[in-house]
Amino acid sequence: MISIAVPMVKIGGVTKRYGRTVALDGVSFEVRPNELFALLGPNGAGKTTLLHILCTILKPDSGTATINGVDVITRPLQARQNIGVVFQEPSLDDRLTVYENLNFHGLVYGVPTALRRRRIDELLQLVELADWRDKLVRTLSSGMKRRLEIARALVHEARVLFLDEPTVGLDAQSRARLWQHVRALRQTRELTVIVTTHYIEEMEGCDRVCIIDKGKILADDAPAALKSTHGQQLVRIVATDEAAFAEMMSAYPELAVRKDTEIVFKSSGDAFAESLLARFAGRIRKFSVEEPSLESVFLSLTGRDLRDQAAGARERTYQFGKRGGEHTK
Amino acid sequence: MTDTGMADVSRGAPARTGLTAQLGGLYAIWLREVKRAVRDRGQFVGGVSRPLLWVLILGIGLNPYFRGEIYGEVRFVIPYTYLQFIFPAVIALNIMYTSVQSAVSTIWDREFGFLREILVSPMPRFTILLGKILGGTTVALFHGSLVLALARFADISLSAGDIVRGLGLMFLLAFGLTSLGVVIANRIRSFEGFGVFSNAVILPLYFTSSSIFPLDPSLTAAQTKVIYPEWLVIMVQWNPFTYAVDALRGAFIHFNQFDPKLGPIVLAVMAVAFFLIAWRDFQRV
Repeated sequence: MISIAVPMVKIGGVTKRYGRTVALDGVSFEVRPNELFALLGPNGAGKTTLLHILCTILKPDSGTATINGVDVITRPLQARQNIGVVFQEPSLDDRLTVYENLNFHGLVYGVPTALRRRRIDELLQLVELADWRDKLVRTLSSGMKRRLEIARALVHEARVLFLDEPTVGLDAQSRARLWQHVRALRQTRELTVIVTTHYIEEMEGCDRVCIIDKGKILADDAPAALKSTHGQQLVRIVATDEAAFAEMMSAYPELAVRKDTEIVFKSSGDAFAESLLARFAGRIRKFSVEEPSLESVFLSLTGRDLRDQAAGARERTYQFGKRGGEHTK
Repeated sequence: MTDTGMADVSRGAPARTGLTAQLGGLYAIWLREVKRAVRDRGQFVGGVSRPLLWVLILGIGLNPYFRGEIYGEVRFVIPYTYLQFIFPAVIALNIMYTSVQSAVSTIWDREFGFLREILVSPMPRFTILLGKILGGTTVALFHGSLVLALARFADISLSAGDIVRGLGLMFLLAFGLTSLGVVIANRIRSFEGFGVFSNAVILPLYFTSSSIFPLDPSLTAAQTKVIYPEWLVIMVQWNPFTYAVDALRGAFIHFNQFDPKLGPIVLAVMAVAFFLIAWRDFQRV
């Protein structure tokens, strides 16, 4: 008999190049059934490329990938029965109604009529769009559209749900609500979720976080474990003047990272923070100590601050629109 | 044993398989194209106003001048009024416009991301393309049939047999042209570019298809070239739509300028050829 711990998604040594740029460099990982798995990384890290390979719309240069035991590279049509995808960019037909979009999906995935109707009604209830069933999609807000896309991805009872930056462009309230719905969906069915995001606070609720940068996996563990192994206390300081700023930067060159008007120190503990305070007392305008967070994990692994990248995503979505929908460069 | 065990596990939820699934998917893609067209008022207005202009205004306006003593000497008289003569051509024009325009949805899908939704579905590309083209064909066929409602004004009486034969030919024309539209749309990335290009393709093809003036079949090749400039005669003869229009004339007013067998053959070849090119292109998307 097959053991219980068969991974739902398994990737081995996946490499992908675009010309001379290496998008993915020998990436391997496994996702267990019913896990909420997050891919975290700045833009250009290779998250979307990886997702596109798993969604069968991109072929890797080398490596293997299976979903629920089906090889996505050699048997893409079969593999697609098992996956539901919510792309970073909207992919609804906004001239059709909510119901028509879902029904289209069900028909294309070969869901029998009675089952299709039942599932659509059930999913619409779950994502609170039942009242909008016969409205044209173009009349929906962007948060509702996202929820509809998630519902759509599950009409064919996908085993694995891929969410590529599902909360980009949504306001805080819609973001919270979206996650609430994802949690609700996971309670009602067996569902493995793979999500990419660069909103670090959204990672906390995930079972496992995989940190990826420049096409390589840097860490892959539960959020708490990541924080205890790679986490770092951070000290953020705003200096009173330029001279003080420069002096502080040069005092601990290997620990200091400049971020706008701030200096971020990788602190080794409370003693370090105290010595900093003592040394530069009177020349510090703002001083704060941050306990280990996923953000500091990211900083210590990559040497970069994830927040620097936040503006880039919207820009990339905009660029995508301008390019006419062709995906990743 | 383990191998088959794995395969069973991977089957997943009970889904339709084989032909039923293919037909379901084909129907979904077809239905979407048709629904989108039905909801697009502009397209419908164009489909209605175009034949009205061509048949009621151009047709009636030019009607008295068609059988007269043009250039003094009449060598050849077509036993039809001008209205009757251009009526099948207007059907072809309406189909041309609607077919090529329906391919805009290909650009739309790419631009607004819906293409991805289709591409990650278990439908093979062939089925997706066929569904899209059949959808466009249906809409174009409908717009072509709208013109038939004007048959009374053109003094054409249609038998059931004529209509069936005509609809068959119209289907072939619409299918070929929708495929051509998809081929063009795959090469052009913007809506604006497509509009300009499709007009630049449709109107010249229409005007040089002997749609609004006949080439005198009683003349020899040499004589024709004396009456008409040689370049025009060559364009008319090389234009495949000349034979499409001729086939429709054969069906609706029983008049052929060329060999009656030629039209249906050209239509069928165009439908297959353009579809194959569209399919080849679509596999690369």
